[in-house]
Amino acid sequence: MTTLTDPLSPAPEPAGPPAVSRFEYNLLRILRFLLGSMPADQAQTLVHAKFQPAPPCLTRTCVRLIRDTLSKATVLHLVRAGGWRRDRFLRAGQPIEGRVWDRLPLATRELSFSKHTLSFLVWLTSEKPTDTKEVWDAPPGELTAGDELFFSMAFDALRPLQDVVPTIAGKNVFDLNPLCWLLCPADFANTDEPELPNFSPYMMGTRAAILECLQPVLAQRWIRSERSKGQIGDWKRMRHQGRAELAMLASFLKVAETSSRTDLARFVLRTATVILGNTELTPSFWTGGLQGSGPLRLADRLDTQRSALALPRQLDTLHRWDRAARAIGYFDDGYEASQLWKADWELARGDEITTRAKRILDQLEPLKI
Amino acid sequence: MSRAYRITVKESETRELRGSDEICTQLELLEILPPEQMADLLKGELKNRGFEEQDDGTLARKDGKLTVTVDPCNGEVSVKSEVDEKVTIEAKRDATTYDDVGPGEKAVRDRVKDQLKQDIEKKAERETERLQTQATEALEKHLEELQPELGQVINKVTRDALKQKAQQLGTVKEIHEDAETGSLTIKIEV
Repeated sequence: MTTLTDPLSPAPEPAGPPAVSRFEYNLLRILRFLLGSMPADQAQTLVHAKFQPAPPCLTRTCVRLIRDTLSKATVLHLVRAGGWRRDRFLRAGQPIEGRVWDRLPLATRELSFSKHTLSFLVWLTSEKPTDTKEVWDAPPGELTAGDELFFSMAFDALRPLQDVVPTIAGKNVFDLNPLCWLLCPADFANTDEPELPNFSPYMMGTRAAILECLQPVLAQRWIRSERSKGQIGDWKRMRHQGRAELAMLASFLKVAETSSRTDLARFVLRTATVILGNTELTPSFWTGGLQGSGPLRLADRLDTQRSALALPRQLDTLHRWDRAARAIGYFDDGYEASQLWKADWELARGDEITTRAKRILDQLEPLKI
Repeated sequence: MSRAYRITVKESETRELRGSDEICTQLELLEILPPEQMADLLKGELKNRGFEEQDDGTLARKDGKLTVTVDPCNGEVSVKSEVDEKVTIEAKRDATTYDDVGPGEKAVRDRVKDQLKQDIEKKAERETERLQTQATEALEKHLEELQPELGQVINKVTRDALKQKAQQLGTVKEIHEDAETGSLTIKIEV
Protein backbone atom coordinates (compact mmCIF):
# COMPACT_ATOMS: atom_id res chain seq x y z
CA MET A 1 0.00 0.00 0.00
CA THR A 2 2.89 2.37 0.66
CA THR A 3 5.98 2.93 -1.48
CA LEU A 4 8.94 5.25 -1.51
CA THR A 5 9.43 7.18 -4.74
CA ASP A 6 12.98 5.86 -4.89
CA PRO A 7 12.47 2.10 -4.54
CA LEU A 8 15.36 0.15 -3.17
CA SER A 9 16.41 -3.13 -4.54
CA PRO A 10 16.15 -5.85 -1.94
CA ALA A 11 19.50 -6.61 -0.33
CA PRO A 12 20.38 -9.66 1.72
CA GLU A 13 20.13 -8.89 5.42
CA PRO A 14 22.49 -10.44 7.96
CA ALA A 15 20.92 -12.67 10.55
CA GLY A 16 19.81 -11.02 13.81
CA PRO A 17 18.50 -7.51 14.48
CA PRO A 18 19.27 -4.87 11.82
CA ALA A 19 22.42 -2.87 12.57
CA VAL A 20 22.42 0.92 12.12
CA SER A 21 24.75 3.74 13.16
CA ARG A 22 24.15 5.86 16.28
CA PHE A 23 22.86 8.73 14.12
CA GLU A 24 20.45 6.45 12.30
CA TYR A 25 19.31 4.92 15.57
CA ASN A 26 18.39 8.41 16.84
CA LEU A 27 16.74 9.26 13.53
CA LEU A 28 14.58 6.13 13.74
CA ARG A 29 13.56 6.95 17.31
CA ILE A 30 12.61 10.51 16.27
CA LEU A 31 10.62 9.04 13.38
CA ARG A 32 8.75 6.77 15.78
CA PHE A 33 8.00 9.78 17.97
CA LEU A 34 6.74 11.85 15.03
CA LEU A 35 4.45 9.03 14.00
CA GLY A 36 2.92 8.79 17.45
CA SER A 37 4.71 5.71 18.79
CA MET A 38 6.66 7.48 21.53
CA PRO A 39 5.52 10.06 24.12
CA ALA A 40 6.77 13.63 23.79
CA ASP A 41 8.56 13.72 27.16
CA GLN A 42 10.75 10.77 26.11
CA ALA A 43 11.53 12.26 22.71
CA GLN A 44 12.17 15.79 23.99
CA THR A 45 15.86 15.16 24.65
CA LEU A 46 16.34 13.60 21.23
CA VAL A 47 14.64 16.49 19.40
CA HIS A 48 16.62 19.11 21.31
CA ALA A 49 19.97 17.37 20.89
CA LYS A 50 22.37 17.93 18.01
CA PHE A 51 23.86 14.80 16.43
CA GLN A 52 26.53 16.19 14.17
CA PRO A 53 27.87 15.81 11.65
CA ALA A 54 25.02 14.22 9.73
CA PRO A 55 26.25 11.38 7.51
CA PRO A 56 26.35 12.11 3.77
CA CYS A 57 23.80 9.35 3.21
CA LEU A 58 21.81 6.79 5.12
CA THR A 59 22.51 3.09 4.97
CA ARG A 60 20.29 0.72 3.04
CA THR A 61 19.13 -0.89 6.29
CA CYS A 62 18.13 2.45 7.78
CA VAL A 63 16.18 3.49 4.67
CA ARG A 64 14.43 0.12 4.69
CA LEU A 65 13.46 0.62 8.33
CA ILE A 66 12.23 4.17 7.63
CA ARG A 67 10.14 2.89 4.74
CA ASP A 68 8.74 0.10 6.87
CA THR A 69 7.90 2.46 9.76
CA LEU A 70 6.33 5.09 7.50
CA SER A 71 4.21 2.58 5.58
CA LYS A 72 2.86 0.91 8.69
CA ALA A 73 2.39 3.98 10.89
CA THR A 74 0.72 6.27 8.35
CA VAL A 75 -1.72 3.58 7.22
CA LEU A 76 -2.48 2.62 10.82
CA HIS A 77 -3.02 6.30 11.64
CA LEU A 78 -5.54 6.74 8.81
CA VAL A 79 -7.36 3.51 9.61
CA ARG A 80 -7.62 4.36 13.30
CA ALA A 81 -8.63 7.95 12.56
CA GLY A 82 -11.72 6.88 10.69
CA GLY A 83 -10.83 4.70 7.71
CA TRP A 84 -12.22 1.64 9.49
CA ARG A 85 -15.70 3.15 9.73
CA ARG A 86 -18.43 1.98 7.42
CA ASP A 87 -19.17 5.42 6.03
CA ARG A 88 -20.62 7.02 2.91
CA PHE A 89 -18.65 9.37 0.70
CA LEU A 90 -18.99 10.62 -2.84
CA ARG A 91 -17.07 9.04 -5.68
CA ALA A 92 -17.72 10.45 -9.16
CA GLY A 93 -20.88 12.05 -7.80
CA GLN A 94 -22.26 8.78 -6.38
CA PRO A 95 -22.37 7.94 -2.67
CA ILE A 96 -20.34 4.79 -1.98
CA GLU A 97 -20.69 3.01 1.33
CA GLY A 98 -18.12 0.93 3.15
CA ARG A 99 -14.77 1.07 4.89
CA VAL A 100 -12.10 3.09 3.12
CA TRP A 101 -10.52 0.00 1.52
CA ASP A 102 -13.96 -1.07 0.24
CA ARG A 103 -14.89 2.34 -1.11
CA LEU A 104 -11.70 3.29 -2.91
CA PRO A 105 -9.47 1.40 -5.37
CA LEU A 106 -5.92 0.58 -4.33
CA ALA A 107 -4.40 3.20 -6.66
CA THR A 108 -6.23 5.97 -4.77
CA ARG A 109 -5.04 4.64 -1.44
CA GLU A 110 -1.35 4.45 -2.30
CA LEU A 111 0.93 6.76 -0.35
CA SER A 112 4.35 7.77 -1.61
CA PHE A 113 7.02 9.73 0.21
CA SER A 114 9.56 12.01 -1.45
CA LYS A 115 13.14 12.89 -0.48
CA HIS A 116 11.78 15.80 1.58
CA THR A 117 10.47 13.46 4.29
CA LEU A 118 13.93 11.91 4.61
CA SER A 119 15.74 15.24 4.53
CA PHE A 120 13.46 16.56 7.30
CA LEU A 121 14.28 13.54 9.44
CA VAL A 122 18.01 14.02 8.87
CA TRP A 123 17.68 17.73 9.69
CA LEU A 124 15.67 17.15 12.87
CA THR A 125 18.15 14.52 14.04
CA SER A 126 21.29 16.52 13.33
CA GLU A 127 20.02 19.97 14.33
CA LYS A 128 18.38 21.51 17.37
CA PRO A 129 15.24 23.12 15.89
CA THR A 130 15.36 26.07 18.27
CA ASP A 131 19.05 26.75 17.63
CA THR A 132 20.07 25.99 14.09
CA LYS A 133 21.85 27.82 11.33
CA GLU A 134 20.56 25.49 8.65
CA VAL A 135 17.15 26.78 7.58
CA TRP A 136 15.57 23.57 6.36
CA ASP A 137 12.38 23.74 4.29
CA ALA A 138 10.85 22.22 1.17
CA PRO A 139 8.76 23.72 -1.63
CA PRO A 140 5.09 22.80 -1.01
CA GLY A 141 4.62 22.05 -4.72
CA GLU A 142 7.05 19.13 -4.51
CA LEU A 143 5.34 17.39 -1.60
CA THR A 144 3.34 14.23 -2.20
CA ALA A 145 0.11 13.38 -0.38
CA GLY A 146 2.16 11.02 1.82
CA ASP A 147 4.63 13.80 2.65
CA GLU A 148 1.83 16.16 3.63
CA LEU A 149 0.27 13.52 5.83
CA PHE A 150 3.65 12.80 7.42
CA PHE A 151 4.34 16.49 8.06
CA SER A 152 0.91 16.97 9.59
CA MET A 153 1.55 14.01 11.92
CA ALA A 154 5.00 15.37 12.73
CA PHE A 155 3.60 18.81 13.54
CA ASP A 156 1.00 17.22 15.75
CA ALA A 157 3.64 15.23 17.61
CA LEU A 158 5.87 18.28 18.05
CA ARG A 159 3.04 20.50 19.37
CA PRO A 160 3.58 19.55 23.04
CA LEU A 161 7.16 20.88 22.74
CA GLN A 162 6.21 24.51 23.29
CA ASP A 163 9.54 26.01 22.24
CA VAL A 164 9.77 24.02 18.99
CA VAL A 165 6.35 24.87 17.53
CA PRO A 166 6.95 28.62 16.90
CA THR A 167 10.25 27.76 15.18
CA ILE A 168 8.87 25.18 12.81
CA ALA A 169 5.38 26.67 12.25
CA GLY A 170 6.86 29.19 9.83
CA LYS A 171 8.25 26.50 7.52
CA ASN A 172 6.34 26.06 4.26
CA VAL A 173 5.91 22.32 4.81
CA PHE A 174 3.72 23.13 7.80
CA ASP A 175 2.53 26.68 7.17
CA LEU A 176 1.22 25.88 3.68
CA ASN A 177 0.16 22.33 4.46
CA PRO A 178 -3.66 22.04 4.14
CA LEU A 179 -3.77 19.18 6.66
CA CYS A 180 -1.91 21.18 9.30
CA TRP A 181 -4.32 24.07 8.74
CA LEU A 182 -7.38 21.84 8.97
CA LEU A 183 -6.15 20.20 12.15
CA CYS A 184 -4.85 23.22 14.06
CA PRO A 185 -5.37 26.60 12.35
CA ALA A 186 -4.70 28.43 15.62
CA ASP A 187 -1.01 27.49 15.41
CA PHE A 188 -0.65 29.47 12.17
CA ALA A 189 -2.63 32.50 13.32
CA ASN A 190 0.02 35.18 13.65
CA THR A 191 -1.36 37.98 11.52
CA ASP A 192 -4.67 39.63 10.71
CA GLU A 193 -4.42 38.45 7.10
CA PRO A 194 -3.10 34.87 7.15
CA GLU A 195 -1.75 33.22 4.01
CA LEU A 196 -3.88 30.15 3.34
CA PRO A 197 -2.85 26.91 1.64
CA ASN A 198 -4.63 25.64 -1.47
CA PHE A 199 -7.33 23.13 -0.51
CA SER A 200 -8.25 22.17 -4.10
CA PRO A 201 -5.92 19.12 -4.31
CA TYR A 202 -7.73 17.66 -1.28
CA MET A 203 -10.94 17.29 -3.24
CA MET A 204 -9.73 14.37 -5.36
CA GLY A 205 -7.52 11.29 -5.43
CA THR A 206 -5.34 10.18 -2.56
CA ARG A 207 -5.61 13.47 -0.71
CA ALA A 208 -9.41 13.26 -0.69
CA ALA A 209 -9.08 9.69 0.64
CA ILE A 210 -6.91 11.02 3.48
CA LEU A 211 -9.50 13.67 4.25
CA GLU A 212 -12.27 11.06 4.29
CA CYS A 213 -10.33 9.03 6.86
CA LEU A 214 -9.58 12.08 9.00
CA GLN A 215 -13.18 13.33 9.29
CA PRO A 216 -13.78 12.08 12.89
CA VAL A 217 -10.37 13.40 14.03
CA LEU A 218 -11.04 16.78 12.44
CA ALA A 219 -14.43 17.00 14.15
CA GLN A 220 -12.84 16.12 17.53
CA ARG A 221 -10.14 18.73 17.06
CA TRP A 222 -12.58 21.47 16.14
CA ILE A 223 -14.90 20.62 19.01
CA ARG A 224 -11.96 20.81 21.43
CA SER A 225 -10.75 24.05 19.90
CA GLU A 226 -14.20 25.67 20.06
CA ARG A 227 -14.65 24.60 23.68
CA SER A 228 -11.30 26.04 24.71
CA LYS A 229 -11.87 29.37 22.98
CA GLY A 230 -13.75 30.65 26.01
CA GLN A 231 -10.48 30.50 27.93
CA ILE A 232 -8.58 32.85 25.64
CA GLY A 233 -7.97 36.06 27.54
CA ASP A 234 -5.87 37.99 25.05
CA TRP A 235 -7.86 40.05 22.54
CA LYS A 236 -5.11 40.07 19.94
CA ARG A 237 -4.68 36.29 20.06
CA MET A 238 -8.43 35.80 19.79
CA ARG A 239 -8.59 38.11 16.77
CA HIS A 240 -5.75 36.31 15.03
CA GLN A 241 -7.14 32.86 15.77
CA GLY A 242 -10.69 33.84 14.82
CA ARG A 243 -9.59 35.44 11.58
CA ALA A 244 -7.44 32.44 10.65
CA GLU A 245 -10.32 30.03 11.33
CA LEU A 246 -12.80 32.22 9.51
CA ALA A 247 -10.59 32.53 6.43
CA MET A 248 -9.69 28.84 6.47
CA LEU A 249 -13.26 27.56 6.83
CA ALA A 250 -14.57 29.97 4.18
CA SER A 251 -11.83 28.92 1.75
CA PHE A 252 -12.27 25.20 2.45
CA LEU A 253 -16.07 25.31 2.10
CA LYS A 254 -15.81 27.27 -1.12
CA VAL A 255 -13.44 24.68 -2.62
CA ALA A 256 -15.65 21.81 -1.40
CA GLU A 257 -18.69 23.41 -3.02
CA THR A 258 -17.04 24.13 -6.36
CA SER A 259 -15.57 20.59 -6.45
CA SER A 260 -18.95 19.05 -5.54
CA ARG A 261 -17.38 17.38 -2.51
CA THR A 262 -19.64 18.78 0.19
CA ASP A 263 -19.31 15.41 1.95
CA LEU A 264 -15.72 16.35 2.86
CA ALA A 265 -17.05 19.26 4.94
CA ARG A 266 -18.94 16.84 7.17
CA PHE A 267 -16.59 17.57 10.07
CA VAL A 268 -17.75 21.21 10.09
CA LEU A 269 -21.36 20.06 10.33
CA ARG A 270 -20.57 17.56 13.10
CA THR A 271 -18.66 20.17 15.08
CA ALA A 272 -21.55 22.61 14.73
CA THR A 273 -24.04 19.97 15.89
CA VAL A 274 -22.07 19.27 19.06
CA ILE A 275 -21.21 22.89 19.88
CA LEU A 276 -24.58 24.40 18.98
CA GLY A 277 -26.50 21.54 20.57
CA ASN A 278 -26.73 23.54 23.79
CA THR A 279 -29.92 25.61 23.70
CA GLU A 280 -28.61 28.11 26.26
CA LEU A 281 -25.54 29.03 24.25
CA THR A 282 -24.59 32.72 24.04
CA PRO A 283 -21.60 34.52 22.43
CA SER A 284 -19.83 34.45 25.81
CA PHE A 285 -19.20 30.72 25.23
CA TRP A 286 -16.52 31.91 22.79
CA THR A 287 -15.67 35.38 24.09
CA GLY A 288 -16.31 35.02 27.82
CA GLY A 289 -12.62 34.63 28.67
CA LEU A 290 -11.44 37.91 27.12
CA GLN A 291 -9.72 39.99 29.77
CA GLY A 292 -10.12 43.73 30.28
CA SER A 293 -12.02 46.13 28.09
CA GLY A 294 -9.96 45.25 25.01
CA PRO A 295 -8.95 47.61 22.21
CA LEU A 296 -9.92 51.27 22.42
CA ARG A 297 -12.02 51.24 19.27
CA LEU A 298 -15.44 49.62 19.32
CA ALA A 299 -14.81 48.55 15.71
CA ASP A 300 -11.76 46.48 16.81
CA ARG A 301 -13.61 44.94 19.75
CA LEU A 302 -16.52 43.98 17.54
CA ASP A 303 -14.20 42.59 14.89
CA THR A 304 -12.50 40.36 17.48
CA GLN A 305 -15.82 39.11 18.83
CA ARG A 306 -17.19 38.48 15.35
CA SER A 307 -14.05 36.56 14.38
CA ALA A 308 -14.27 34.43 17.52
CA LEU A 309 -17.58 33.07 16.24
CA ALA A 310 -16.02 31.69 13.07
CA LEU A 311 -17.85 28.37 13.31
CA PRO A 312 -21.46 29.64 13.70
CA ARG A 313 -20.80 31.94 10.76
CA GLN A 314 -20.35 28.92 8.48
CA LEU A 315 -23.88 27.67 9.10
CA ASP A 316 -25.15 30.18 6.58
CA THR A 317 -23.08 28.50 3.84
CA LEU A 318 -24.10 25.00 4.93
CA HIS A 319 -27.76 26.06 5.02
CA ARG A 320 -27.42 27.42 1.49
CA TRP A 321 -26.04 24.03 0.40
CA ASP A 322 -29.08 22.39 1.94
CA ARG A 323 -31.48 24.69 0.09
CA ALA A 324 -29.61 23.96 -3.15
CA ALA A 325 -29.78 20.21 -2.44
CA ARG A 326 -33.54 20.43 -1.85
CA ALA A 327 -34.01 22.11 -5.21
CA ILE A 328 -32.44 19.18 -7.10
CA GLY A 329 -35.08 16.87 -8.60
CA TYR A 330 -34.97 13.11 -9.13
CA PHE A 331 -34.06 13.44 -12.82
CA ASP A 332 -31.51 16.23 -12.29
CA ASP A 333 -27.73 15.83 -12.24
CA GLY A 334 -26.31 15.46 -8.77
CA TYR A 335 -29.47 13.95 -7.29
CA GLU A 336 -27.60 11.22 -5.37
CA ALA A 337 -25.06 13.71 -4.00
CA SER A 338 -27.86 16.03 -2.90
CA GLN A 339 -29.60 13.12 -1.15
CA LEU A 340 -26.37 12.38 0.75
CA TRP A 341 -26.07 16.01 1.86
CA LYS A 342 -29.72 16.12 2.93
CA ALA A 343 -29.23 12.95 4.98
CA ASP A 344 -26.15 14.49 6.68
CA TRP A 345 -28.05 17.73 7.26
CA GLU A 346 -31.02 15.99 8.86
CA LEU A 347 -28.78 13.82 11.00
CA ALA A 348 -27.00 16.97 12.20
CA ARG A 349 -30.34 18.72 12.90
CA GLY A 350 -29.15 21.37 10.45
CA ASP A 351 -32.20 23.65 10.50
CA GLU A 352 -32.25 23.75 14.29
CA ILE A 353 -28.57 24.59 14.67
CA THR A 354 -28.75 27.18 11.89
CA THR A 355 -31.53 29.01 13.73
CA ARG A 356 -29.50 28.82 16.94
CA ALA A 357 -26.35 30.08 15.22
CA LYS A 358 -28.26 33.02 13.77
CA ARG A 359 -29.68 33.91 17.18
CA ILE A 360 -26.19 33.83 18.71
CA LEU A 361 -24.69 35.93 15.93
CA ASP A 362 -27.52 38.46 16.25
CA GLN A 363 -26.75 38.87 19.96
CA LEU A 364 -23.33 40.13 19.00
CA GLU A 365 -24.56 42.77 16.57
CA PRO A 366 -25.03 46.20 18.14
CA LEU A 367 -27.94 47.31 15.96
CA LYS A 368 -29.90 44.09 15.61
CA ILE A 369 -33.59 44.58 16.19
CA MET B 1 37.59 75.99 37.18
CA SER B 2 34.49 75.53 35.00
CA ARG B 3 31.09 77.01 35.60
CA ALA B 4 27.91 75.05 35.02
CA TYR B 5 25.24 76.59 32.82
CA ARG B 6 21.62 75.50 32.76
CA ILE B 7 20.00 75.46 29.33
CA THR B 8 16.21 75.46 29.12
CA VAL B 9 14.69 74.45 25.82
CA LYS B 10 10.99 74.81 25.06
CA GLU B 11 9.16 73.40 22.07
CA SER B 12 5.58 73.91 21.07
CA GLU B 13 3.64 72.36 18.20
CA THR B 14 0.06 72.71 17.04
CA ARG B 15 -1.44 69.62 15.50
CA GLU B 16 -4.80 68.60 14.12
CA LEU B 17 -5.50 65.31 15.91
CA ARG B 18 -8.31 62.92 15.13
CA GLY B 19 -10.02 59.97 16.78
CA SER B 20 -12.51 57.88 14.86
CA ASP B 21 -14.55 54.72 15.27
CA GLU B 22 -17.00 52.95 13.01
CA ILE B 23 -19.26 49.96 13.10
CA CYS B 24 -21.08 48.28 10.24
CA THR B 25 -24.05 45.99 10.52
CA GLN B 26 -26.98 44.76 8.48
CA LEU B 27 -30.67 45.65 8.68
CA GLU B 28 -32.91 42.67 8.19
CA LEU B 29 -35.91 43.38 6.05
CA LEU B 30 -38.43 40.66 5.28
CA GLU B 31 -38.77 39.93 1.59
CA ILE B 32 -42.46 40.83 1.39
CA LEU B 33 -42.08 42.72 -1.89
CA PRO B 34 -39.32 42.48 -4.53
CA PRO B 35 -35.98 43.89 -3.23
CA GLU B 36 -36.21 47.06 -5.36
CA GLN B 37 -39.62 47.95 -3.91
CA MET B 38 -38.45 47.19 -0.36
CA ALA B 39 -35.43 49.44 -0.99
CA ASP B 40 -37.74 52.24 -2.19
CA LEU B 41 -39.90 51.95 0.91
CA LEU B 42 -36.82 52.03 3.13
CA LYS B 43 -35.46 55.01 1.25
CA GLY B 44 -38.75 56.90 1.68
CA GLU B 45 -38.94 56.21 5.40
CA LEU B 46 -35.31 57.19 5.97
CA LYS B 47 -35.82 60.46 4.05
CA ASN B 48 -38.77 61.24 6.35
CA ARG B 49 -36.35 60.91 9.24
CA GLY B 50 -33.85 63.39 7.89
CA PHE B 51 -31.58 61.14 5.83
CA GLU B 52 -30.27 62.61 2.59
CA GLU B 53 -29.51 60.69 -0.56
CA GLN B 54 -25.85 60.63 -1.58
CA ASP B 55 -24.27 60.32 -5.04
CA ASP B 56 -23.58 56.63 -4.50
CA GLY B 57 -27.25 55.89 -3.74
CA THR B 58 -26.78 55.56 0.02
CA LEU B 59 -28.66 57.68 2.54
CA ALA B 60 -26.74 59.56 5.20
CA ARG B 61 -27.58 61.70 8.21
CA LYS B 62 -25.20 63.69 10.38
CA ASP B 63 -25.97 63.59 14.08
CA GLY B 64 -23.38 65.97 15.48
CA LYS B 65 -20.02 64.24 15.19
CA LEU B 66 -21.63 61.05 14.04
CA THR B 67 -22.66 60.01 10.55
CA VAL B 68 -25.22 57.27 9.97
CA THR B 69 -25.18 55.80 6.47
CA VAL B 70 -27.69 53.26 5.18
CA ASP B 71 -27.47 51.44 1.87
CA PRO B 72 -31.13 50.75 1.01
CA CYS B 73 -30.19 48.11 -1.59
CA ASN B 74 -28.59 45.67 0.86
CA GLY B 75 -29.62 47.15 4.22
CA GLU B 76 -26.03 47.80 5.30
CA VAL B 77 -25.80 50.38 8.08
CA SER B 78 -22.61 52.11 9.08
CA VAL B 79 -22.27 54.47 11.99
CA LYS B 80 -19.13 56.57 12.06
CA SER B 81 -17.95 58.75 14.87
CA GLU B 82 -15.19 61.31 14.31
CA VAL B 83 -13.70 63.72 16.78
CA ASP B 84 -10.98 66.13 15.71
CA GLU B 85 -9.32 68.86 17.66
CA LYS B 86 -6.55 71.37 17.15
CA VAL B 87 -4.19 70.70 20.01
CA THR B 88 -1.17 72.74 21.02
CA ILE B 89 1.40 70.49 22.61
CA GLU B 90 4.14 72.02 24.67
CA ALA B 91 7.25 70.44 26.12
CA LYS B 92 10.09 71.84 28.16
CA ARG B 93 13.41 70.36 29.27
CA ASP B 94 16.43 71.55 31.21
CA ALA B 95 20.03 70.48 30.65
CA THR B 96 23.36 71.37 32.21
CA THR B 97 26.51 72.24 30.29
CA TYR B 98 29.92 73.62 31.21
CA ASP B 99 30.16 75.89 28.14
CA ASP B 100 27.76 78.75 27.44
CA VAL B 101 28.89 78.92 23.77
CA GLY B 102 30.65 76.67 21.26
CA PRO B 103 30.22 73.07 20.08
CA GLY B 104 29.59 71.65 23.59
CA GLU B 105 26.61 73.92 24.15
CA LYS B 106 25.24 73.19 20.65
CA ALA B 107 25.52 69.43 21.16
CA VAL B 108 23.61 69.62 24.44
CA ARG B 109 20.95 71.84 22.89
CA ASP B 110 20.53 69.41 19.93
CA ARG B 111 20.25 66.44 22.27
CA VAL B 112 17.59 68.19 24.34
CA LYS B 113 15.69 69.13 21.18
CA ASP B 114 15.63 65.48 20.10
CA GLN B 115 14.30 64.48 23.51
CA LEU B 116 11.66 67.20 23.26
CA LYS B 117 10.52 65.85 19.91
CA GLN B 118 10.02 62.44 21.50
CA ASP B 119 8.12 64.07 24.39
CA ILE B 120 5.85 65.84 21.94
CA GLU B 121 5.20 62.59 20.06
CA LYS B 122 4.27 60.84 23.30
CA LYS B 123 1.95 63.68 24.32
CA ALA B 124 0.37 63.64 20.86
CA GLU B 125 -0.22 59.88 21.20
CA ARG B 126 -1.90 60.41 24.56
CA GLU B 127 -4.08 63.16 23.12
CA THR B 128 -5.04 60.95 20.17
CA GLU B 129 -6.00 58.19 22.60
CA ARG B 130 -8.15 60.67 24.51
CA LEU B 131 -9.91 61.71 21.31
CA GLN B 132 -10.23 58.07 20.31
CA THR B 133 -11.95 57.28 23.63
CA GLN B 134 -14.26 60.26 23.13
CA ALA B 135 -15.19 59.07 19.65
CA THR B 136 -15.87 55.51 20.87
CA GLU B 137 -17.95 56.70 23.82
CA ALA B 138 -19.98 58.95 21.53
CA LEU B 139 -20.52 56.02 19.17
CA GLU B 140 -21.61 53.66 21.95
CA LYS B 141 -24.04 56.27 23.33
CA HIS B 142 -25.47 56.98 19.92
CA LEU B 143 -26.00 53.29 19.16
CA GLU B 144 -28.33 53.04 22.14
CA GLU B 145 -30.44 55.87 20.70
CA LEU B 146 -30.22 54.65 17.12
CA GLN B 147 -31.34 51.08 17.78
CA PRO B 148 -35.00 51.93 18.67
CA GLU B 149 -35.17 54.36 15.76
CA LEU B 150 -34.02 51.73 13.28
CA GLY B 151 -36.53 49.33 14.83
CA GLN B 152 -39.28 51.83 14.10
CA VAL B 153 -38.01 52.25 10.53
CA ILE B 154 -38.11 48.50 9.93
CA ASN B 155 -41.58 48.21 11.44
CA LYS B 156 -42.88 51.04 9.29
CA VAL B 157 -41.34 49.60 6.12
CA THR B 158 -42.73 46.13 6.91
CA ARG B 159 -46.23 47.54 7.56
CA ASP B 160 -46.19 49.53 4.31
CA ALA B 161 -44.91 46.51 2.39
CA LEU B 162 -47.69 44.34 3.84
CA LYS B 163 -50.29 46.89 2.85
CA GLN B 164 -48.95 47.03 -0.71
CA LYS B 165 -48.82 43.26 -0.90
CA ALA B 166 -52.41 43.04 0.33
CA GLN B 167 -53.51 45.45 -2.40
CA GLN B 168 -51.80 43.23 -4.97
CA LEU B 169 -53.58 40.15 -3.65
CA GLY B 170 -57.13 41.56 -3.78
CA THR B 171 -59.40 44.36 -2.58
CA VAL B 172 -58.50 45.64 0.87
CA LYS B 173 -61.68 45.68 2.99
CA GLU B 174 -60.31 46.67 6.36
CA ILE B 175 -57.01 47.63 7.93
CA HIS B 176 -56.64 47.60 11.68
CA GLU B 177 -53.44 48.75 13.37
CA ASP B 178 -52.83 48.47 17.09
CA ALA B 179 -50.11 50.91 18.08
CA GLU B 180 -49.70 49.36 21.53
CA THR B 181 -49.11 45.77 20.48
CA GLY B 182 -47.76 46.65 17.04
CA SER B 183 -50.17 44.21 15.38
CA LEU B 184 -51.54 44.85 11.91
CA THR B 185 -54.68 43.13 10.59
CA ILE B 186 -55.59 43.45 6.95
CA LYS B 187 -58.78 41.95 5.59
CA ILE B 188 -58.83 41.45 1.84
CA GLU B 189 -61.35 40.14 -0.63
CA VAL B 190 -59.81 37.97 -3.30
